[in-house]
Amino acid sequence: MKSPAFEYIRAESVAGAMSAYAEAGDDVVYLAGGHSVVPSLALRLQAPALMIDLSEIAALSGISFQDGWLRIGAMTRHVQAINDPLIAAQAPLFAAAAPFVAHPAIRNRGTLGGSLAHADPASEFPAAAVAMRVELEIASPKGTRRVPADEFFLDIYETAIEPGEILLAIHVPGPVAGQVIGFDEITRRQGDYAMVGAAVQAVAKDGILQDISIALFSVGTRPTRAVAAQAALMGRVIDDASIADAKAALGDDLDPPDDLQFPATMRLHLARVLLGRILANLEAVA
Amino acid sequence: MELLGSQNLAATPDQVWAALFDRDVLEQAIPGCESLEQTSDTSFVAVVKLKIGPVSARFKGEIELSDIDPGKSCTLSGKGSGGIAGFAKGAARVTLTPEGDYTVLDYTADVAVGGKLAALGNRLIKSTAKKLTGEFFANFTKALTGEEETPVT
Repeated sequence: MKSPAFEYIRAESVAGAMSAYAEAGDDVVYLAGGHSVVPSLALRLQAPALMIDLSEIAALSGISFQDGWLRIGAMTRHVQAINDPLIAAQAPLFAAAAPFVAHPAIRNRGTLGGSLAHADPASEFPAAAVAMRVELEIASPKGTRRVPADEFFLDIYETAIEPGEILLAIHVPGPVAGQVIGFDEITRRQGDYAMVGAAVQAVAKDGILQDISIALFSVGTRPTRAVAAQAALMGRVIDDASIADAKAALGDDLDPPDDLQFPATMRLHLARVLLGRILANLEAVA
Repeated sequence: MELLGSQNLAATPDQVWAALFDRDVLEQAIPGCESLEQTSDTSFVAVVKLKIGPVSARFKGEIELSDIDPGKSCTLSGKGSGGIAGFAKGAARVTLTPEGDYTVLDYTADVAVGGKLAALGNRLIKSTAKKLTGEFFANFTKALTGEEETPVT
C-alpha cells in the first residue's frame, strides 16, 4: 500500500519547524527517523496534510557534556547509542537497551528522541530514560523547558510534548561512583515487542544499596517506576532475601492490563521473574 | 472485549438520566467529538477525530440509546467507520443507583474493533478502549457536575 498524498517540507531550524506547524493547523506530522510515522502512512492509519522533516536541524543532533549532564540530541540514531563512547560512559542504560530495539536496519534510522516522543508502552528507551532519571528538553513557541522523565510519560503514546512542540534533547545526569546497571526483557522473538522488560540502575557502597532506580515497560500504559520494589531494596545488600522482597513488592507497583495476548497475572509473574534475574546479575557485579 | 467501570456522580439519578439524553453533554463527553447531531429522541450522528500514536482517523458514526428503563438503566451503542483505517463498534449498559447524595453510574461495555486498526493495534487495543471509555465517563461527570472525576474503579 502507498501513503496518501501530503505536502513535505524540510525544516532548517526548530523555530522554522514550529512556525510551519502553527501555520498549517493540526493536520501535521513531524518526521524524525520515520520508523513509526512512515509505516503508519503506508498503512493509511493517518493522512496528514503536511509532513515537516526535522532531520536536518543542527540543534537536534550532537552528543556533548553540559554542566555535568550529558546532552544527547533528539535526532541521535539508535545505533549511536550502541557505538558512542560518551553514551556508554554516562548513559549506559541507553547502550544496554539499544540492542533490544528492533533490528539493525531500523536502528540505523530510528532516533532516540523519536522513540521517547512516540512513547509506545512496550518501548525500551522510555524505561531506560525513567531509570536514569533523565530530563527531556522540549521546545515550544513560548520557550524551552526541561521535564523529568517521571513526569514526561503520561499515557499510551502520550507525553508532556504538546501538539506542535519538539523534543530537542535528552539530558542525562552524571554517573555516581559505584553505579551498576541492568537491562533485560522477555520477548517471544528477538526484536519483537517485549512481553515485559525492565531497566535498573543502582549505586552500592560496600555492598549496601545507596540508590536504586527501577523502571518496567510493557506492563501498563507507560513506563512504570517500581516504587515499592525500590523501597524494599534500599539500604540492603542484594541477596536472595532482598530480591524475594522486591519481587513481592512488585505486586503493589504494577496493575498490568489483561490483554488479548495473555492475562494480567502472567504479565506480573513475568515481571517478577525478570526483575529477579536482573537483580541477581547486579549482585554479581555490585 | 469487555470493559467495566463505575463513577460516583454528585447528582440525582434524574439529573444523570437527563444528561444521558442531552446532546450538549454527550458532545462534551465523547472523546475527540467534532460534531454531534440529534436525529431522533434516542439517536445521534457523530463525527469523532481520534489521534492515538500512529493512528489518526476521523470516524463517522451513529449513537443510539435503547433498552430504556427510565431513570434506571439503558444501553448506549455506537458504531463508527474510519474509512480505510477500520471500524469500531461498542455497546455500554449503563445502570444508575442512588446512594445518599450521589448517584453511582456503573457501566459494562463490549467493544469490537475491526479492519487495519485491529490488525496493527491488536497489542494495545484493550488499553486504548479502556482509556477512551474512561475518558467518556470522566468527561460526562465533568459536564454534569462541573467537578473532576471521582472514579470508583
